Amino acid sequence: MKNMWMKMFAALFALALVASACGSDSPVGDAVDAAGDAADDAAETVEDVVDGDDEEEAMEEEEAMEEEEAMEEEEAMEEEAAVVTITGPERDESEAGAIQEVLSAFGEANNIDITYTGDADWEANIDIQVEGNNPPNLSIFPQPGKLADFAREGSVVPLADNVVDGMAWSEAWTVFGNVDGTQFGAPVKADLKSLVWYKPAAFEEKGYAVPGTFDDFLALTGEMIANGDTPLCVGIESGQATGWTYTDWVEDMVLRQHGADVYDAWVAHDIPFNDPQIVESMQTVLDLWATDGMTFSSGGSIAATAFQDNGQPLVDGDCMMHRQASFYSAFIPEGTAFADGTPDAVDVFYFPDIKGDAPVLGAGTLVAAFDDNEATMMVAEFMAGAEYAEGRQRAQTALKGGGLSGFLSAAEGQDQSVYAPLEQSFLAILQNAAIVRFDASDLMPAAVGAGTFWSEGTSAVNGDQDAAAAAEKIEASWP
Amino acid sequence: MASPPIVEPGKGSGVGNAIYGVLRAIPTGLLWFIVLIWSIPTLGLAVNSFRGRDDQRGSGWWTVFSDEGGSTLDNYETVLTASSTNSILESLANSFAIAIPATIIPIAIAAFAAYAFAWIEFPGRQWLFIATVSLLAVPLQVALIPLLQLYSGGAHLSLPLMEKTVTLIPNFDLAGTGTAVWLTHTGFGLPFAIFLLHNYISGLPKDVFESARIDGADHFTIFWRIVLPLSVPVLAAFAIFQFLWTWNDFLIANTMIGANRDAQPTTIAIANLAGDYGRNEHLLSAGAFVQAFFPLVVFFSLQRYFVRGLLAGSVKG
Repeated sequence: MKNMWMKMFAALFALALVASACGSDSPVGDAVDAAGDAADDAAETVEDVVDGDDEEEAMEEEEAMEEEEAMEEEEAMEEEAAVVTITGPERDESEAGAIQEVLSAFGEANNIDITYTGDADWEANIDIQVEGNNPPNLSIFPQPGKLADFAREGSVVPLADNVVDGMAWSEAWTVFGNVDGTQFGAPVKADLKSLVWYKPAAFEEKGYAVPGTFDDFLALTGEMIANGDTPLCVGIESGQATGWTYTDWVEDMVLRQHGADVYDAWVAHDIPFNDPQIVESMQTVLDLWATDGMTFSSGGSIAATAFQDNGQPLVDGDCMMHRQASFYSAFIPEGTAFADGTPDAVDVFYFPDIKGDAPVLGAGTLVAAFDDNEATMMVAEFMAGAEYAEGRQRAQTALKGGGLSGFLSAAEGQDQSVYAPLEQSFLAILQNAAIVRFDASDLMPAAVGAGTFWSEGTSAVNGDQDAAAAAEKIEASWP
Repeated sequence: MASPPIVEPGKGSGVGNAIYGVLRAIPTGLLWFIVLIWSIPTLGLAVNSFRGRDDQRGSGWWTVFSDEGGSTLDNYETVLTASSTNSILESLANSFAIAIPATIIPIAIAAFAAYAFAWIEFPGRQWLFIATVSLLAVPLQVALIPLLQLYSGGAHLSLPLMEKTVTLIPNFDLAGTGTAVWLTHTGFGLPFAIFLLHNYISGLPKDVFESARIDGADHFTIFWRIVLPLSVPVLAAFAIFQFLWTWNDFLIANTMIGANRDAQPTTIAIANLAGDYGRNEHLLSAGAFVQAFFPLVVFFSLQRYFVRGLLAGSVKG
């Protein structure tokens, strides 16, 4: 009995030792192995060259070369101290894989060891890492508001001149990384939100036309209801973020009904949240959804239907349209074709405007640095350029196995051919847009943008209150 | 022929016996009912781990009993294939590298400490023991960020008048390593380990120690030859506790490891499996079962000591 236990603990202890040894020693071991491999290669080359010469001499020479080569290799390994870690909220196999792939290629060419880590809980963890003095070198921010907070408290450093000069993005996008006149973040990815997904073949069959104005859009929905079709798939459930789809609709409506200036004032809290103009837009969306026969929700009610579950009914023909961002291609059921003219293909049209000013609601990510090391800034410069966007798009399309990648970049100077035809139409919308505005809920303080705007909005969608009451509560919660 | 009307339970037949039988079955039935309710979510998770993404999205797991939904090993394959970026295989090694030292080291230290607190007379013993056990009340969460700062920068004391900085703890640059995680687990596991082991060890019969003393055994011999073998149940019970806790820990690992992907244990890897907007949620169930497999092995191999160990020191003769 005693012996058995002693053995077991001894075995466990040995295992622990082995495990910890593996943990700490492996990089050194790899480096030594690599050096050894390189030395062997060198030896072979030498052997080839001296073939036919005096054997002894050759052997000596070979040995000398081998030693020299190995030492050089080790020195090179020591020089390769530039390690850059990047964190970000994107963690999908294809997204994170593509980012890592394109960065690794860049890193190899420039002797930088780059690691990207996708983090499911990025927002909370970046705070912990900064508090604990353990931040990554770079991080990808999905919210300009968060970046501004970090910039003002001095956690992130201003981008070096080479990064600022290297940004391939238009002013409409770089402004999101500009905090009080200093550039802290460079855009690396764009999402296009003002889109409506539909099936061209179904439209053709019923004789519906893609609407050019918002009035046309309303008329079209009326026509569909009269024909017995359900115009819209709507579902806003998204776990603890339930309601964000509703906020996107409201943001799109504010931009369309009241223009960019009101939108900016709203985001900056220069006008209160319960300003009549904002309430009007909120109510417009509520009224539209509450119209009899307007919406199809596979989960029974709008708030009980996961936002991911709107793709299937659209393909099945349970509804004719679904307004959602460009990344929604990932939730269209597998095997569906995109904009290739086949009967089952889905396509998008621009969510039409009211005043003809073609405003676009977008979102995106920005890269910001936590130190100003040369290597860190080199990586940031690369990520802000067109080459990164092209490379990532290529890698991500390959990882997705064809079809749409889900990635989009508004960087200028990209080779458009890396994008699928549908994605090129996204880019066209982005480039034609005179007004680009960032998702308001990402810009507002978290208590509102990731809090009451969602929750009070959801309760209004459920019919528990009207837009005015919801707006009043949201205004009261503004910090 | 008259016989005494004695009804022996379990023998003969009659309404009384039937009622007795029914009544006796109620607690058992109730227990089985609770067990059933309790296991349903796990069962659902298990069923779902064998269903593909569209199946999981489209219908509930219970539909497999009526429908002809195909079962698939794809989820497990994705999660366990080393080449897949959604693999949690690499993080399994990290989990072991954290959980094994974090289980064994506290046990080793706590066994010595518990013996000393129980059987070695030294001044201030009671106060030291009370102080140690009081540390149980320190909530782990409040210490996380300070600990991380300690790992990432050491501790330095600036003396205001002498313009000098004294380094109390040097910077070992542990932030982002597995070592930081098991060190933290060890520290926070010790008070409970000492408390539990002390209760058990102090309850061992005094005569044994006196006999050993008379035979000339010193403290180390007594500890090694008598106390350790007698304490196997409590050691095993604590090992189970500590292994489960460290294996399933997310908070400490997430805080200490931060952005270092190479040191992530399975809990963090699984949290990241779901993907952006929950696109890969279908992989979570398979990941959860891979994660649960190893604690189950540990539990079932040590479980006969579990209850005995839990009762350690609670029933004193």
